[in-house]
Formats: sequence, C-alpha cells, structure tokens
Amino acid sequence: MSAASEFLLEVRSEEIPARMLEPAVQAVASRLFEDLTTRGVGPLEVETGYTPRRLVLILRGMPDREPDREEQVLGPPSRVAFDADGNPTKALLGFAARSGIPVEDVQRVDTAKGEYVGAVLHTKGRSTAEVLQEIAPRILAQVHWAKSMKWGIGEGPWVRPVHGLLALYDGRTLPMELFDVVAGNTTVGHPVLSPEPFEVTSAADYREKLEARHVEIRAVERRQRLAEGMRSAAEEAGGRWVEDDDLLHKLAAICAVPGVLEGRFDAAFLELPREILIASLKDHQSAFTVEAPDGALLPLFLTVMDRPDDPEGRVRSGNEWVVAARLEDARFFYQEDRKHTLEDRLRKLETRTFHVRLGSYLDKAERLAALAGTLCRQLGREDLSDPAGRAARLLKADLSTEMVGEFASLQGVMGGVYGAEQGEDESVWQAIYDQYLPASVDDPLPRGEVGAVVAVADRLDTLAGIFGVGLIPTGSKDPFGLRRSAQGVVRILLERGLSLDLKAAVGAARELYGEQLDTTSEELWNSLRPFFLDRIKHLLGSRGFAYDEIDAALAAGASDLPDLEARTRAVHEIRGEASFLSVVLSAKRIANIIKGQEASPLDPSLLEEGAEGALYSAAQDLAAVVREAVERGDYLAALEEVAQLAPVLDRFFEDVMVMAEDETLRRNRIALLQSIHGILTPIAHLTELVVDKAEHR
Amino acid sequence: MRSFQELILRLSEFWAGQGCVLQQAYDLEVGAGTMHPDTFLRVLGPEPWRVAYVQPSRRPADARYGDNPFRLGKHYQFQVVLKPNPKDIQELYVKSLEALGLDLTKHDLRFEEDNWEAPTLGAWGVGWQVMLDGMEITQFTYFQQAGGLELSPISAEITYGLDRITMFLSQARSIYDVDWVPGGVSYHQVRHQDEAEMSKYYFEIADVEFLTRQFDGYEGEAQRCLEEDLVLPAYECALRCSHSFNVLDARGAVSVTERVALIKRVRNLAVGCAKAYVASRERLGYPLLPEEERPAPGAAPTAGGEA
Repeated sequence: MSAASEFLLEVRSEEIPARMLEPAVQAVASRLFEDLTTRGVGPLEVETGYTPRRLVLILRGMPDREPDREEQVLGPPSRVAFDADGNPTKALLGFAARSGIPVEDVQRVDTAKGEYVGAVLHTKGRSTAEVLQEIAPRILAQVHWAKSMKWGIGEGPWVRPVHGLLALYDGRTLPMELFDVVAGNTTVGHPVLSPEPFEVTSAADYREKLEARHVEIRAVERRQRLAEGMRSAAEEAGGRWVEDDDLLHKLAAICAVPGVLEGRFDAAFLELPREILIASLKDHQSAFTVEAPDGALLPLFLTVMDRPDDPEGRVRSGNEWVVAARLEDARFFYQEDRKHTLEDRLRKLETRTFHVRLGSYLDKAERLAALAGTLCRQLGREDLSDPAGRAARLLKADLSTEMVGEFASLQGVMGGVYGAEQGEDESVWQAIYDQYLPASVDDPLPRGEVGAVVAVADRLDTLAGIFGVGLIPTGSKDPFGLRRSAQGVVRILLERGLSLDLKAAVGAARELYGEQLDTTSEELWNSLRPFFLDRIKHLLGSRGFAYDEIDAALAAGASDLPDLEARTRAVHEIRGEASFLSVVLSAKRIANIIKGQEASPLDPSLLEEGAEGALYSAAQDLAAVVREAVERGDYLAALEEVAQLAPVLDRFFEDVMVMAEDETLRRNRIALLQSIHGILTPIAHLTELVVDKAEHR
Repeated sequence: MRSFQELILRLSEFWAGQGCVLQQAYDLEVGAGTMHPDTFLRVLGPEPWRVAYVQPSRRPADARYGDNPFRLGKHYQFQVVLKPNPKDIQELYVKSLEALGLDLTKHDLRFEEDNWEAPTLGAWGVGWQVMLDGMEITQFTYFQQAGGLELSPISAEITYGLDRITMFLSQARSIYDVDWVPGGVSYHQVRHQDEAEMSKYYFEIADVEFLTRQFDGYEGEAQRCLEEDLVLPAYECALRCSHSFNVLDARGAVSVTERVALIKRVRNLAVGCAKAYVASRERLGYPLLPEEERPAPGAAPTAGGEA
C-alpha cells in the first residue's frame, strides 16, 4: 500500500445544470470507489468537488496494484478430454489453448458430476494506474444525467459538450480519452477572469492554483462563504437575512467563486404584498430578501455573482436594473388583478379546463362548494359550512390572475391575498391562501379548520374525478400529483384529528360528478381504498408504529383516521405485555378454528361448568367493559381488559375439546369462540400481530 | 453601445465574420427566429449551414398597447445558427459580446440551464439562458430534434433579445426610451403606434370567425402543397396557421381543450414539412455539402430517422 498514491481527475465541460452537479459527481465517485474496491485497489479517501464547468474527483491511498489472482477453470469431462489411449483429444487441446496454458498443466478434477479436466489460472494484477485508465473514462461517459444531449457531428451523449480532461496519477498524466478529448496535466481558472491554461502537479497544487485563479471547487465551502457573506451583508443593512436552503444550494452550484451581490430597490415597491416581492425576487432573480427586526421586508436583495468583487459596481447596477424591471412588471400585474374581484373571476374559470372529461374549473368550483358543505355535515361541524362553502367556491378563482400566470408558485396564495383585500372573512381568505398545504411531508397544514376542510374537499374532488375516469397513477407516473393529494388528505385528517368517514366522503365527492363518471361510488372506493391505505400505513409507520400494529388496527376499520391512530397506539403500547401476547396467540387459534364455520347461535345452557363456563361468563363481562371503553375512545383500557382474559382462555384451550364428537356441543363451542372473536376485533385484529411464540409461551 | 441599430450592426458584422450567411427577416409573421425556414428547415439533414439575421417576432398575447415598459407584442431577435456547432461555439458567443463593447472582466456572465421546447414545431433542444449581471440576454440552444426528426449534425442556435439588451446596456427605464438611431430617432418613434394599434387589434378587433376560417384554409392549403412536394409553400401556410392561432389565443378565443387540438394541427403540418424538406434536399443531392461528401447520383436514399 502506498499511502501517498493519489489520483486527480477533472472533467471540464460547458455549464452543467446546477441541479445535476452534485448527484453526478457523487454517482461518479461511488462507481469509481466500488469498481476499484471490487478489484482490490479501493482508495482510503475520496474527495469530490464541482463548479458549473467542472467535475472533480480526488482519490487517495490506493494500493499500487491489483492482487494477483488464482482461478480454477473447468474444461470438458475427462472421458471427452482423452481418447481410449489416454491421449489428449481436440476438446482438451482447445480448452488448453483457450485458457492460455500448456496442455501438460491441465489437471484432472473430481466434481459432483464426475471427473473433469481443469486448470488453475494465474492472473497477474494490473497496476492501479492501468485499472483507472480503463474504468475512469467509462464511468464518466456512462454517468446518468436527467437530460443529456449530443453535439457537433454527433458526439456524446453527455450533459453538455466536454472540453477538457485532467488525469494525474501520483503527479503524472494518466493517458485516457473522453469523447475525443485527450487527458493532460493542465486545467484552466475562472472562465472569464482567468481562462489561461496552466499545469498541475498534484491535488494540493491543483487546489492552490485554482484558488489563486478564482475557483473554489468545494461546493460546501462556497455555500458557507455565501451564507456568511449574506448574513453579514443583511446585518450591516440593519436587517436579518431570510434564509432559504434550496436557494442557497442553487446559488452555490452556479458559481465558481461565491461572490455576494447586494442590491437595493425602490422602497415604493414595498407597498406590494410581501408574497409578490419574495416570488419576484426569488423565482425570477434567484435573490434572497432581507427583513427588518419587525419582520417587514427591507428594500434590499442578496444574490450571487460569479466573481470575488464588483469594483466598478456594474454587476450591482445591472442587477438592480433588472430587479426594478421585474418589480415594475409585478406591480403592473398586481394593479391589473385588483380591477376584478374573485367573484368576477369565477366566470373566467368556465373556459379553463380542469380535465377534458371532467369539465372546467367553474364546474369544479361548484362541486367544491357543495362538497365542502357535505364534509362539514359529515364532521358534525355545520358551523363551518358557510365560510367553507364560500372559500371552496372562490378557491380556484386566482387561476385567471396575471400574477398566477406569471408565478405558478403563487397559486392559492394570490387568491388569499386578493380575498383579504376584498374583505373576505379571515377564515375564508386563509383557507384559499393555504389550499395547497401541505405540499410536502414537512409542510405545515392549513392554518384554520375551514382551511383544513376545504383543502380536503379539493383533494377528494380531484382524486374522485381522476380515479373515476380511470387515470390511476402507476409506477413513477403520477401527472396529476394524486399521491401527494392523498397524502395531504391523510395528514390533514390525522393531524387535525378530523373524524371524517373517508368512504362516505369519497362517495359524496363521486356523487357531485353525476353522470360524468361511469364508475359507481363502490367501485371508486375499491380503487381508492388501497391508494389511501398505502399513504396511511406510511404515515403511521413514520410515527414509530410497527407495520403489524398498523395492519392490525387497519383490519378493524380504516375510515376514521384519528380513531385508527388511537387504536394503533393502544396496540403499540400494550403489545409488550405477556398476558396480551398470550391473548393474541389465543386469538390466532380462535381465528383458525372458526375459519370457514357458519355463524351459530350460542346456547348458554349447553355450556359445561369449569373452563367453558368460566370463559363464557368472563366474555359476558368483558364485552360490556370493552364496549364501554371503546365508546369512551379509551382503547388502551379496552385492550388491558382484553389482556385479562389470558388465563381464562389458556385454561379453556387446555381443558376443553372444541371439536367435540357431539355436533350440538361442537357447534355451541364454535359459537362461543365466535362471540369471543367478535369482542376482540373492533379495536384491532389481533391475528395480524406477529408474535415470537418461543418467547411468549 | 447605446442604440438599437448599432447593436444590429455589430452583431451582423461579427457573425458575418464567422462565415454566416447574412440573411434578412422572414417576410411572414413568426413567433420566433427559430420559425424562419433558414433555421427550422436548415437544421434538418446533413448539410452544413451558418446564418445570422434579425427576426421581428410576434407574441400577440404579450402585447400591452405600448403602455408597458418591458412587454411588446413584437420584439426583435438576432438569430444565429451554426451547423454543425463548432467546438468553440461558446467562446465565439462570448467574443460576440465583447464585440458589443462589453468588458466581461467587469461583469458577471453566467449560463443557467434552460431547455427549449416548441410543441408546435415538434422541436426541442438543450441549453441555457445567458445571464449578464442578472439579466437574461440570450437563449443558447443545441437543437436535438426538429419536426419530430432526430438531428445530426447538431446545430447551435443563439438568440439575442435585441430590445432587452439595448435597454439593459443603456439602463433605460422603458423600451420606448431607447435610441434606435444613436442620439436620434427613438424606439418609441419607430414602434409605438405599431404596438398600440396591433394590441387593440389582437385583443379587441380581430375577428374570431375570420381567423378560424383562415386557420382552416391555410391548413388545407398546406396539405395540398405537401401533396405536390412543395415544401416551402407548405411551410409558409403552416406559419400562417401558427400566427392565426396566436392571435386567436390572444383574443381569448381558444379554450384549453381547443388549444391542445390546434397546437397538434400546427405540429402535424410542421412535422410534414420537415419530412418533406429532408426528402427534397436528398433529391437535390444536398447542394450545400462539399462536393466529395455528396451522395453519388442514384445512390440509395437514406432518409433521416424518425424520432
């Protein structure tokens, strides 16, 4: 092992899209690492770096050579390899030739299938440099890009045209080629500030010389420097930098040197709603905003410039000009939009298709208004009906605003902003504003109860409609974002504790489509149920419940989600108790016995004294206690009662022969077990729980 | 560099110096320089091609009655196509900016991912929007497909937004304040009446029924031309359909569903023209290929692969 061994690889190309840089360099690094390790020449250290125009890999601590290998190869069976006189046949000669060994070195080998000829091949390990020469260009050429291209007379495919390759092994150029580009020991600095080629002797030398030429290859370092620069620029201006991790990552990826650019805009623009300012600065100009201590925005923006400084202020004045133009544009849209109320805008939804087979957004607005009312009733919250109906009707009105046309990310938000300005009730405009929440797993929920109901109504309408016309998502194809919709419904109901009967709610959504769908409510529920179940299981799983606990609770009913969670939690909390586990095992036994048996009436007079009678009377008491606890929603107490049944059940199975010869007796005992089964199931199907018998019996 | 026409002159001079045919704008309404047959059709097939021209480009929906300082119903693109793209195309582009008098060591020049797709042309490409001090000044695209056909060799298309660049370089608050002639006639004087009247036409006056008839009529005419192997006349009809569609759209007369259907009809024409063009160039023996690379007369035809 030569601890000093070092491989430096740099590919230079035209600007690679920011979003693809990190995944690409990581993919190349792990492929290289794996391939080298498999060959016994894995590096101790892998370092990566990138700028828009280069991917960099530095590998250290590889052994000098692959280990020599010995490999046993088998040839033909001996009876084929030698003729009657024991002389080599053509088959044997051919095998020896293919294996590259003299025929004398062939040995007889005993195998399970009889005697064969074979040989031990010795392969000398290649030098690590040779291995790298072979695999590095191949791995680079094969790296997967989200979108690749061809160039020139058909070179590629790669993400962008390749222009340079630097490959140094222990300081010496390692000859290789990538798309006709020949590797050398030179690279270039910053594309504009220092484009002249220069020679490199090692990774340290490479980094040092690049730094002097305005290139920092470590994205993490660029990110840190940007963050520090922005924070202090904001502080100096008397404000606070409004952080945004995604934007910071993007800015660090689009530069070779992380220069912080600070610009100002006319304070008159601050009269625009803050959402518009942020969208305009962030979406259009990739710029951060700065807040005053009281939370109001300052007329200031921060972004990156791919250069260390701006001595003549040209970059700043250019950016300020563009921002002024953008904000001017935004102000124009805002003023235009305010000429119409949301109510007026409903008419414009008529020509906006929600889905070809499901009508316009006006149709959707009408359905939503009705559905929101129904959901309120189903939830027993008629008090929310009016605001929910109003919000639902106006929910999509902002689709026709100029602002949303310009910034799709402001959908809903603009409806909320305009609604507030036009005097809509707070619960109404907030519900419109928050309608797309939660868009991701970490997103907050809609602020209010009205918002929660309306957000659920919107998603159920979409799910019912799109599933109803048979466009069920498959694999990675989910053009309508239905998984996210279902996820949103599940999260809102669970986290808001809304006991909505999902099946009934889906039915209501279905009915509002009327003749437009050929699917019946029942069919629709059958296709949507597993779709919801996946989301429910996932969400409960992410809260630390085991899959069998979730399955057990689900088997007892999935319609009311907060209730489902409470039942899952009860199972989760009690499952460690020995007596409960004992009941679980009995429950499985009971389920096996009664499987396929018709329901029979129980005749208490036929029961025998002792274990059988004891189980009956315990079950009688238990049924009442469990029912009462379930009504209180205290599922843990109910399951604790169930656990008390353990000794009685155990005694029953020890003393009583269920499958008695006498048919009347047998039927009666089965009826007894059926009634026990009935008591055990409303909270969770205990049979779904996985139990290690050895441990608990 | 402060005036609109100086910008045109410098860019023309620069790209003519790179061996481009200095073409003129197409004399029909188009939405972008890409739709000029000297781009859309010439990027097809094996023949090399270099061209540069100014193309007034109409986007009726962006018209603003001449009131908006940034948006125009007709803007000017300076269009460059190099086929195949030379290896140093990006450097050439940077030099063209220097030819405009920009000292790039004092600016921030970045190439941000921006892939281009034109559904009405069955075309897409990969490239960037070029940002100068935060301002988008150019679309830079490596064409990958046009008219539904896979391209080889690859063309690089460089589209400068002339109006925006002049505005930016002169730090004007409104496009109408820009000098067209240095210190002389302004953009306002040259263009304002045009913007105001055309906006009114697009949004208020244009006759929906007439435009619809025009669309249908030119579609039929395009197909008739294609049946006669008349590629360029067919393509002109397709361009007219495309423009009728754009006006109908601005007029608010196209529902979302119709939109998809109309785009598809234009696309079908464009794809038909592309295929017919490839075949016609082959029949002509690829006159732009160097003589030694032209197929021998009567050689087996090898049409471009369909994507």
